[in-house]
Amino acid sequence: MKRALTAIALAAAAGAALAQGWPSRPVRLIAPYAAGGPIDISARLLAGKLQESLGQPVVVENRPGAGGNLGVEMAAKSAPDGHTLVIGAIATHAINPTLMGSVPYDPVRDFRHIALMVQVPNVLVVNLDLPASSVAELIALARARPGKLDFASGSTGSTGHLAGELFKQMTGTYMVHIPYKGAAPAVLDLVAGRVHLMFDNLASALPNIRGGKVRALAVTTKKRSSFLPDLPTLDESGLKGFDMTTWWGVMAPAKTPQAVVERLNAEILRALEAPDVRERLRAMGSETPAIRTPEEFTAFVAAEGRIYAELVRRSGAKPD
Amino acid sequence: MEMLNNLLLGFSVALSPFNILMCLVGVLLGTLIGVLPGVGPVATIAMLLPITFNLNPIGALIMLAGIYYGAQYGGSTTAILVNLPGESSSVVTCIDGYQMARRGRAGPALATAALVSFFAGCVATLIVAMFAPPLAEVALKFGPAEYFSLMVLGLVAAVVLAHGSLIKAIAMVVLGLLLGLIGTDVNSGVLRFAFGISELADGIGFVVVAMGMFGIAEIVTNLEHTGQREVFTKKVTHLWPTKEDFRRLIPAALRGTFLGAALGILPGGGALLASFGAYTLEKKVSKYAHEFGQGAIEGVAAPESANNAGAQTSFIPLLTLGIPSNAVMALMIGAMMIQGIAPGPQVMNERPQLFWGMIASMWVGNLMLVVLNLPLIGMWIKLLTVPYRLLYPSILLFMGIGVFSLSNNPFDVLIMAFFGLLGYICVKLECEPAPMILGFILGPLMEENLRRAMLLSRGDPLVFFQKPISASFLVVAIILLAIIAAPNIRKKRQEVFVEET
Repeated sequence: MKRALTAIALAAAAGAALAQGWPSRPVRLIAPYAAGGPIDISARLLAGKLQESLGQPVVVENRPGAGGNLGVEMAAKSAPDGHTLVIGAIATHAINPTLMGSVPYDPVRDFRHIALMVQVPNVLVVNLDLPASSVAELIALARARPGKLDFASGSTGSTGHLAGELFKQMTGTYMVHIPYKGAAPAVLDLVAGRVHLMFDNLASALPNIRGGKVRALAVTTKKRSSFLPDLPTLDESGLKGFDMTTWWGVMAPAKTPQAVVERLNAEILRALEAPDVRERLRAMGSETPAIRTPEEFTAFVAAEGRIYAELVRRSGAKPD
Repeated sequence: MEMLNNLLLGFSVALSPFNILMCLVGVLLGTLIGVLPGVGPVATIAMLLPITFNLNPIGALIMLAGIYYGAQYGGSTTAILVNLPGESSSVVTCIDGYQMARRGRAGPALATAALVSFFAGCVATLIVAMFAPPLAEVALKFGPAEYFSLMVLGLVAAVVLAHGSLIKAIAMVVLGLLLGLIGTDVNSGVLRFAFGISELADGIGFVVVAMGMFGIAEIVTNLEHTGQREVFTKKVTHLWPTKEDFRRLIPAALRGTFLGAALGILPGGGALLASFGAYTLEKKVSKYAHEFGQGAIEGVAAPESANNAGAQTSFIPLLTLGIPSNAVMALMIGAMMIQGIAPGPQVMNERPQLFWGMIASMWVGNLMLVVLNLPLIGMWIKLLTVPYRLLYPSILLFMGIGVFSLSNNPFDVLIMAFFGLLGYICVKLECEPAPMILGFILGPLMEENLRRAMLLSRGDPLVFFQKPISASFLVVAIILLAIIAAPNIRKKRQEVFVEET
């Protein structure tokens, strides 16, 4: 018994010592997407702050490819010593595992989920000529013209696509999904009236909504967005329980020591509160996430994985 | 008046110290590689793409554009003094330019090339500024069906205008289209031709293919060329052309400029086609036709003004439609996409600084070229004496670093090496890589727009003929196909392009 206690004490001491000595060399933060995108920008913002608080350089390494899976896989296979971190996102950790059939990592078990950084709602926007100024009118229109409405998205399996599929399932309507390569050309066709509606990312939709180029009908989150406080949620508009956000956060390989995870969680949350970081993240349409602890984040990732597995399967987006 | 305001905006962007520097770097580099035979603007721009990553979009595009039209200046220097085309577009300049040099008139030949290039550059800048906005207006009406049909036309035109064998050009376009299929299917998310390699899930990178096919292949091919060159370095004395020269070159330069500008806009066109067209035209209409081939100044003025004008107007389809008319423009699209700019008609409205800044920078760059080139000719010539055993390995090394830095993945370097090999094989088989690159970049776009148009029409293929713009593109494409299929025209086409090789 005493020996066991000693062993535990020793192990704890070792863990603490490890955390004490950490970080002993530069920390790399893998961004699994190309430089210049929102995930890369937020990673670089965070790296700048962590560098100050950790006293070691934090280097952002872009490893794009395979919808983010390449970089995430590399992180999952790295040494779990706290010197490798990765930005895990809704695509890599909730959608891709089902959409792509399989991914070379387990989004829940192969990672410590350290801190959720960004949550961006999607906004249901319609072309100005579409005779629908509320969600109820849109549903009525979709029922009256089954299979005639087109909804655009930035890619197959994106949150914009899946929000549309969820909308169809919950309302029992049928609309045709028109995938694009990226949100920008999709928005162009939406404004020109070649497609009727879109569940666009808030950051990309906001200028068009404010510029009067498209009409916003609702946000996809359960809570209203602070950017568009007058805009109802889909949940309020009769689609009970509709709640979707695009999110990403910092993760590490599974066996990263608890002390390191806790320290990182605290430092990241503090960095996110810095005014300059907050301002840049808000420019991406992000609200401050309610999820704070690593344990909450893990539970969130697991729940999202279940929700999207179901949604992807039922939408038929998954290649057979 | 609006054009004036727009140009003013453009100049305010282009004349910022950083952008002037970028423009200078671009035209210097362009002249440098233009002077060196074997290293062309396509290879150079391909090699520099990874570097532009860290620049701001305007600076990056100004620099890359500078390389393209700078190369047209540099190419003529080598053509005149060494009888080697520094650029493919200065092939015809060799004919009369070199003869002028042999008769001790290297100076006036060089000055003519620089002055008419500057003149053509100024006119072409105005043409781009005048025609791009209305074209962009029309382009805003383009939906998936229109884009698809336009790209069909573009590919057909690229085949028609490619030099060498028709069959080979078609084969290269198809090869490019097939390579473009690799990766994730847009509509279903299914992986195609990835062979379980996750690096291929997003398709093969355009930069990687371009650097391999053009950069590596070009360098390897050049290793085969050894041999003596006759260089007229010391004979460059008095530069300025005589009054009589001016009287003869001005009409030639005018014709060359306008023909070049028109040919530059065509899909598949650009500097190369422009210079050939202008030389042929000048030979037909000039009073001094009998002097051609023996040092006629028109034989320098016409192609040199045309290639510069064509180089610049080939930006019009890129800036207004987002569609490349030749391999350099395909690379520019790559550069824009790296910067997160989707090329297309919206660029002009959404990013007027970029659009007009680039146009204004062309004029600034042309001015720099004329000021730089005349006094620096001696220095450029010295470059021709740098041994290639030093030059080529360092270029290869920088290419390796550049490709690796794209996504920090050694796999890309391997792919580049593979395409280098493929490119070399193509050179040996006399297959032009340019149609392949066009097929490779247009293929995925065509497929995307074809399938989107079909989705929107609920599977009705007639949609391509019901929309007037789309229908007219397809009709023109069919006519072009019919023309090249006609036997006597095919023969003529071969005659025209025989001079190039």
